[in-house]
Amino acid sequence: MKVFITGMGALSSLGNTVEDMFDGLKAGRSGIRHFPEWQQYNGLHCHLGAPVPDYDIMKIPRQVRRSMSRMSEMAALATLQALGQADLQPGPALNSPRVLLIMGSTSGSPVTLETYFRKLFEKHGPEGQLSTSFFKVMNHSVAANVAAAIDFNGALISPSCACATSTQAMIMGWELIKAGLYDMVIAGGADEIHYMSASVFDIVQAASRGYNDNPDAASRPFDQSRDGLVVSEGAGVLILESEASMLRRRARPLAEVRGGAYVCDGTHMSQSSAETMMKVMHEALRRAELEAGDVDYVNAHATATLHGDVEEAKAIGGVFGANTYVSSLKGHLGHSLAACGALEAIASIKMMQESVIIPTRNLCQVSEDCQGIRHVRELTSKPVNLVLSNNFAFGGMNTSLLLSAPPADAVTGD
Amino acid sequence: MTPSQEVIQQVNNLMKSGFEIPEEKLVPTATLIGDLGLDSLDAVDMLVYIEETLGVKVEGERLASVKTLQDVYVLAAESVPRPSEANA
Repeated sequence: MKVFITGMGALSSLGNTVEDMFDGLKAGRSGIRHFPEWQQYNGLHCHLGAPVPDYDIMKIPRQVRRSMSRMSEMAALATLQALGQADLQPGPALNSPRVLLIMGSTSGSPVTLETYFRKLFEKHGPEGQLSTSFFKVMNHSVAANVAAAIDFNGALISPSCACATSTQAMIMGWELIKAGLYDMVIAGGADEIHYMSASVFDIVQAASRGYNDNPDAASRPFDQSRDGLVVSEGAGVLILESEASMLRRRARPLAEVRGGAYVCDGTHMSQSSAETMMKVMHEALRRAELEAGDVDYVNAHATATLHGDVEEAKAIGGVFGANTYVSSLKGHLGHSLAACGALEAIASIKMMQESVIIPTRNLCQVSEDCQGIRHVRELTSKPVNLVLSNNFAFGGMNTSLLLSAPPADAVTGD
Repeated sequence: MTPSQEVIQQVNNLMKSGFEIPEEKLVPTATLIGDLGLDSLDAVDMLVYIEETLGVKVEGERLASVKTLQDVYVLAAESVPRPSEANA
């Protein structure tokens, strides 16, 4: 059973549609800006973030919207975009036991967590809490709110593994369709920007500190002068569909999900290793029945940290050698945490559609310890038929997803 | 207790800001559920807004008998100032 992608939706620091995001990537723009208000937080050294541009949420009815944090709002809008592209209407048409909604975030809304607990401590109890506060901070808030926004009452799963969340959602969607349990999966992830997210990385010295006065130069994956990641926000949602469902609906395939794997490191909470990164890439290839030499392009997770980029470069070199094209999009988009896997999958699909590879932004001089792989440093026109996209998360959660351009004989739409 | 114009205005304002209810719907006879589209979660939040806006402590137990906007005005007017505000 082949699995195809028939719809995509994105809200990102480079724009609030798939096209806007990809135009920004092609133009080499950065979504990162200075957050001077973060200077007030003791112990926080990174004052940079990549926020999503303003969006209109008023199309969502108030009684659905009231329990949405920013991450749920973005996820709902991205889902509506994806459904629209797949020519699917929210509501009864989706309410089949053969449709799964799988979506998550790193945690509940950090913005609401702060206000919730601040009031809880101030009031010495729950007095004054709004009825909807908990619905913004519960772990499955994004999935539940998206379900309400699209009037969905089918199966729902809310995975949560930080920066690998949406990649795991897509891979699980692929697995469950392959297993014959579902015909269609609405998969994705979202996260919202907050100084607590930056703090998580700042505390372990993984966030950028040296570019607060030069945001455009911050987030430099694989670069000699990299000094850490910059958090961003966003939502990415993809519609995964069995070949039979796609043919039945005469939907247009945007890409094929060839496989993927999620493998736990099991050794260290924050220090990923090349060995376990290689393991997940090999496992993804094995499950997809593909060889490393089949892959045209690797979309690296590379967040511009001193340690992670080195290990990923070693791992990619170990699996693919020095000839496969490699780039990271974190220099453009920042690190959107639970959304990044879906956003990067969407960008990879656009690269296949437009036969172009987005280079790693701010990669001026490849770090000596990140060499041995084929870094893409300028916009490169090249046919791309098979992509491996990596995402790694705290907790030792490693994921690799394989996407390919749809075969010509799978093109069924208009 | 007859609600003052100030209380009525404050309640109307929080109905607009908290629940996006248009001005023209804010008439005393409007029912909270049928006319204004509120539900049980909104009712809880309405009490929070009243307490924060008017600086009062609302008897939550009275909520069950609140059916119309006029009932909300009366509830707000009859709520006692919170100790901190009363001592201020």
